[in-house]
Formats: sequence, C-alpha cells, structure tokens
Amino acid sequence: MSLKFQETTLDNGLKIIGEHNPQAQSAAAGYFVNTGARDETSDVAGVSHFLEHMMFKGTARRTPEDINREFDELGANYNAYTSEERTVYYGAVLPERGEKLLDLLTDMMRPSLRQSDFDIEKNVILEEIAMYEDKPNFRVFEIGNERFYNGHPLGNSILGSTDSIKTLEREQMQAYFEKRYAPNNMLLTLAGNYDWDVVLNQVTGLTQDWQPSETTRTYPDLKSQDGVQSLNDKTLARVHTALFAPGVSAQDDLRYAAAILASCIGDSSGSRLYWSLIDKGLADSASLSHDSADGVGSFVGYVSSAPENFEKVLAIYKEVLLEVEENGLDSEEWARAQRKLATSLTLRGETPFGRLMSLGASYLYNKDYQSVQDVISAVFNTSLDEATKVLANKPFSKLYTLSMRPE
Amino acid sequence: MPGPKFSTTMSPPFYRLQAPGGLPGSATFERDDTLGHYFKLRGRGSSSVPPHILSPQLPIELGIARDRRVRRGGGAGKEYMTFSASLLAESLAPTLELYAAIVRRPHLDEGEFEGARTLAQQELESLQDSPTQQLFEALSGQYFASPHGNSSYGTHDGLGAMTPATLRSGYERRFSPRGAVLSVAGGVSWESVKAIAEKLFADWQGAGTDLPKVSVHAEGQAHLEQATQQVQIGVAYEAVMPGAQGWYENALALGVLNGGMGARLFSEVREKRGLVYSVAAVSRAIRGFGYTLAYAGTTTERADETLSVLLGELRRLSEGVSEEELERARTGLLSKLVMQGESSGARASALARDIFLLGEPRTIDEIKAALTALSLDDVNSYLSKHYNPKFTVLTLGSKPLAKAALA
Repeated sequence: MSLKFQETTLDNGLKIIGEHNPQAQSAAAGYFVNTGARDETSDVAGVSHFLEHMMFKGTARRTPEDINREFDELGANYNAYTSEERTVYYGAVLPERGEKLLDLLTDMMRPSLRQSDFDIEKNVILEEIAMYEDKPNFRVFEIGNERFYNGHPLGNSILGSTDSIKTLEREQMQAYFEKRYAPNNMLLTLAGNYDWDVVLNQVTGLTQDWQPSETTRTYPDLKSQDGVQSLNDKTLARVHTALFAPGVSAQDDLRYAAAILASCIGDSSGSRLYWSLIDKGLADSASLSHDSADGVGSFVGYVSSAPENFEKVLAIYKEVLLEVEENGLDSEEWARAQRKLATSLTLRGETPFGRLMSLGASYLYNKDYQSVQDVISAVFNTSLDEATKVLANKPFSKLYTLSMRPE
Repeated sequence: MPGPKFSTTMSPPFYRLQAPGGLPGSATFERDDTLGHYFKLRGRGSSSVPPHILSPQLPIELGIARDRRVRRGGGAGKEYMTFSASLLAESLAPTLELYAAIVRRPHLDEGEFEGARTLAQQELESLQDSPTQQLFEALSGQYFASPHGNSSYGTHDGLGAMTPATLRSGYERRFSPRGAVLSVAGGVSWESVKAIAEKLFADWQGAGTDLPKVSVHAEGQAHLEQATQQVQIGVAYEAVMPGAQGWYENALALGVLNGGMGARLFSEVREKRGLVYSVAAVSRAIRGFGYTLAYAGTTTERADETLSVLLGELRRLSEGVSEEELERARTGLLSKLVMQGESSGARASALARDIFLLGEPRTIDEIKAALTALSLDDVNSYLSKHYNPKFTVLTLGSKPLAKAALA
C-alpha cells in the first residue's frame, strides 16, 4: 500500500490532514471539533452533545430534511459522536462522491440552530437520557466517572441530566457554539481515496468566512477519589461494578505500556481477570482497559456478578490488580498482549472509515502523524520495563469502585 | 451434502482472514443452549492433537483477535453456531488446526461443566438488566410457533437439568460436516486454504440433524410489565424467503423504510415528532423463511403514539414508494456493498451466510446487478401484491399500551 500523509492549515486556522490511499474503494472525511463535556460549565451540562444533534438540523443552504436526504443520496456511512473531549462528524462514501460529502459536512459546521428544531430535538435528547437510565452497566460508569474524577472536568457527564437539558436555552447553545466551533479549534481529517488539491480548493472556498477565536481548555491536576462505594437499585438482577484507577495521558510515552498492561489484566479473553473470574463462572463479564485522555488518563474496569457472589468477586478482582502491581507481568503474557493489540490495530486500519477515527483522534492529542505501521512498531517496541514504570505509581492502590446493587 | 463446503475470496490489500464454521445446532433444536455456552467458554481442542494445541491461550499466542461466540438474537443465531477469527495470514494453518480440534474433538469434561453452566445461568440473569435484549428474546418466542422462538440463553429449568452426559450427546447429534461451512476472506490463496481444510476436515463424518420447519403464530399484541424508564416496543412480521422472488424488492423497500436518517422511520418517528432516540426496522433470514423486526424505545407518555406511527409507517409501504426514495435506498445498499467488500471479516461472514441460506455464495457483482435491475414498477408492484404485514407486537415497560390495529 502506498500511503501518503498530507497536512495544511488554512488562513482561518482550520487544520486539514489526510492519509491518502489510492487503492482504497472509498473515501472518508470527518470534522473533529476539539470540544466536549469537559469544556462545559455546569449551567450548560450536556450542551456539546445536544449541539451535535442540532448540527444535523439545517443551515443557511439546507433544511434538516435536505441534510438527511443528501447523506442518504450519497450512500454515505455517516454519523456523529460526542465524547468528554471531542465532537466528531463523519462520513464515508465511494470516491466519486467525496466532493459532495465534503460540501455537506462543511456546510453543517455552520448550523442555523432554529428554535423550533431545538424544541423538538430536546425531546429526543430526553429520550436518549431515559434510554441510558435503563442500562445499569452504563449508569454505573456515568456516576462512577463523576465521583472518581472528583471535580476534574473529565468527570462531566456527556448527556447532562434531565434537569440540565430541560432548562437549557437555545441562546446558551448558540454562545457555546460560537466559542468552541472556531476553525482554529477544529480539524478536518481525510482518509482513503480522495484528491488533496480538490479538497483544499473546495474547503478553502467554503470556509472563507469562518472566524478564528480564542479557545481554551483547562488542565487541572487530578485528585482522584479512591475507596469503595455502592448504590442500591431494587430493580436490578445483577451487581454492576465500575472500577477506576489513575493512568497516563494520551501525550505520555507510557500510554502504550498502560494499554498493553490493561490488556494482560483485563482483556475479554485470555487475560488474568478472564481466568480468575469468567472461566471460574464467578462473573459473566470482567474487564479492564486503559483510557488515555488529553493531559490525564485512567484505568477503567467493569465486573458483573450475582448479588450473593459480589463481595468475593470484587475481592478477587482487586487481588488480581494488586498482584500485578506488586509482582509485575511475565514476558510471555506481555508478548501475547502486544500481538493481540497489533492485530486489532491492523484490522481497525483496514478501511478508510476505521482509519479516519484513529487518525483524527491521535492528531488532536499529539499534533503528529502515525501510520498504522508506526503504531504497531511502537506497540512491539514497548518493553516490560515501561509497564514497571506505570506500576511504580501504584495506580491500583488508588482504586475507586462503585457498585450498583439490587439490595 | 457429503462434507463441509469451502469458499474463499481475495481482497488483495488486506491481510485478514475470518473463518466462521457455521454448524447447525444451537437453540433451534432444544430449549437450552448450554452447548453453545460451553463452546463459547471452553472449546479447547482435544486429546488427539499435540499439547501446544491444547493450550487455551493459543489463539492469543498467534495474535488472533478472537471472536468465537454463539450469535444470539435475530435469525442467524437460531440455526447455527459461528466460530470466527481474524488473524494475520501467516497464522492460517495453525489457527484452522485449532478450530478443527475445537469443533471436531472438543473437551467436554465433567470438571469444566459446572463453570460453563454457571456462566450460562449468569448470562441469563443479566438479560434482566438489558430491557431491549430481553424484549427481542421474548418477541421471538411470541412470534415463532416452531422452535425458532427459543432463546439461545436457554431457561433456568433447562440449564439446571443439563448434565455432562446430555451435553455430550447433544454435541454428538448436532455437530457434523453436513451443512457446515468454512469461509475465508483475505490475502490467502484458494489452493492453500483448500489444502489445509482438506487435511483437517476431509475425513469428518456424521449424519447431523435436520432443521425443523418454520411456523409462526397469528398476529397479536402482548406486554411484559417491568419498571423501566422507557417502554420497549418490538414488532415482527413475515417477509420474503431468502433467495425467493421479491427478495431484492423487499431489500430495497426496507431501505426506503430504514436506509438512513432521511428514510421514513427516522424521519417520521424521530425527526418530525421527536418521539424516540432509537427507531429501526431490520430484515432477518433463517433458512426458508424471512421476516422483519422493528423497534422503538420511548417514554411511557409517548408510547401509544409511537406504536401507532411506527405501525402506520410499516403498513404504508404497501402503497408503494417514490422514485426518489427508491434511488436513495438503492444508492445506500450499493454503496454499503462496496464498503463491506473492503473488510475481509464482513466478506467472510457474508459468504458463509449465503452458503447456509441460499446454498451458494453470491459475488458482489451479482448482488449489484440484481439491485440495479429493478425498476420502480417492479418494486411497487411487488409491494402492492405481496406486502401485507400482519404484526406481532410485544412491549416491555411499566404499563401496557392501547391495543393497536395489527392487520
């Protein structure tokens, strides 16, 4: 494969990057906006995500129906998502429709935010919140995350609450939009089979009126919560436990070590937690992963168990973590986890659509390009010594657990 | 059929391979699927292969992103079990060797039985905390009169009564080369796949069991009472049999209903009325029978209106679709086809599924040609003559819904 990385910054501050693959059967494009729940104040909790929905509700050139219809006419695989740190609008199409896709996505980035659409969409957001209320394995993370982050903005809820959404006004959303969707706070990412010169020409024209502005993000120190907490919910059949421990940031060189370490401990199959809990029939789900974010990171785990086994299961889970913290890992399990991670990276990089996501996200964090091959080499070059460095901070001694239990 | 069928396809730029061996078995035959859970948890090789193959960690050793599971829900999981893996091409031979051992000479030891049973029981318990999944398991039972309505999670009684001996006899009765499919997609040659497969499977013997006849109940509406935030609405109705006249017409019509955000369901139920966050209709196929499943999740006060709008849209399809709607649906399906062709995993699954349902695989060009050939008249004449849905409706939530018109 002859892949080529391309990048430029327009006069208005909009950054454009691309990984060109002339052999790809499709082209993918996405606007990565460097804003999310962590950038919200409490009076507008949930606005990033609500705004993401509103971005599909029409522009000066398009009605909401036009936007949905045009995406469908392009045969696009498209959607958007909001996380704590970014909001992403993306689509993948056959190469000959790339230009139209880009016209649509770019136009959407300057939405009308009409009152009537805002009022209808508010119901959809409230339904989405209600939907997650019925998912205890989601709810336990929502509450646990807020408590673990203990005042750090990464503890902010992406959805917001029923109350914060009900009281949110259109004007507050408009103000948030103007502050956060400045071109210098956005990244346009391309992957697959596109024409770089055509894209530059087109996007320069479409975004010439976009005005840069001052955008900031705060990076307070994390003083994470530790200890054991639980909540009761009589309607539950199982105990759902979320576990958190401090990790390393997306900018930290130890991030690969942290990811491999988490995989050794808590991958969905063949990991230490798998053999200690799932293989023994004590839990139907037990996992640990590492989440590296902008400036800070965490280990995040989950376990589901029967109410009568709950204490035993949690004790074993913690034992597994502390055993690794104290005695480290052996080189064979390390090598296995490296290979597993490398394989899944290869698979994710298979399509332009899959490639777009990691390309954009990793550029937002580190402002540099890594090919799939670079990442795979980095994974294989990560030594067990680096895991020792991650463990030297005793992350699992600072564990926080939140359980939702039927009684 | 004398032995397993083999198929392969090449997608040059990628080094991935997926090998789902579809084996008739699973929930269609018996009320309980401890067998399925057993394989999910412990299919590990046998005494007749070298010790390194016995290692439960071998797949990870090889760097396989493993996905060896019984597919649940929908049609496919009702008739076969899937064992699949994605891996680097050079690991093909040892991986297939491992999978052959798992499928042909599994350990079904007493010692491992209890762990597997407990896990199966816990997964059944966990269903209580996932209302949407619970709804679809129950809807299947309400819709099918034949054993296709059985849940692959099994029942408490059935799992309790299972013994190592019944497990062994279930395995011996159901696991056979008759109807089993091995499909491989990615950067490997047909000759090499064929040579490996012949070595591993050519001497596989066994009569297997026949698939039962499909039968469904008359239309009806029922409710499951449960304290949830959202009411879960599920609808099932008969559609075209896989491969029969009208198969592609139905696919295009379903695209008009559910193809994207501009399609009828999303537009009428969510965009115009703000009734839901999630609404969808999907086509399901089992051998010799096709049906459609529809879903909406909404809060109690909007549930009656949601059900009535949803059924109204499902019914309105019989009045035909417009030229623009048809073209959008066609574009969507064609473009999805090309993009799925880029992923070797998706391609391998499609091949195995075609062989299982239709008797032989279709090429992407064949499907393209069939979708392209249909005119607006073809689709509308199919809809007016053959589309006459009779609904089975199941709702789950804190209170029952008003009776809806079902035919």
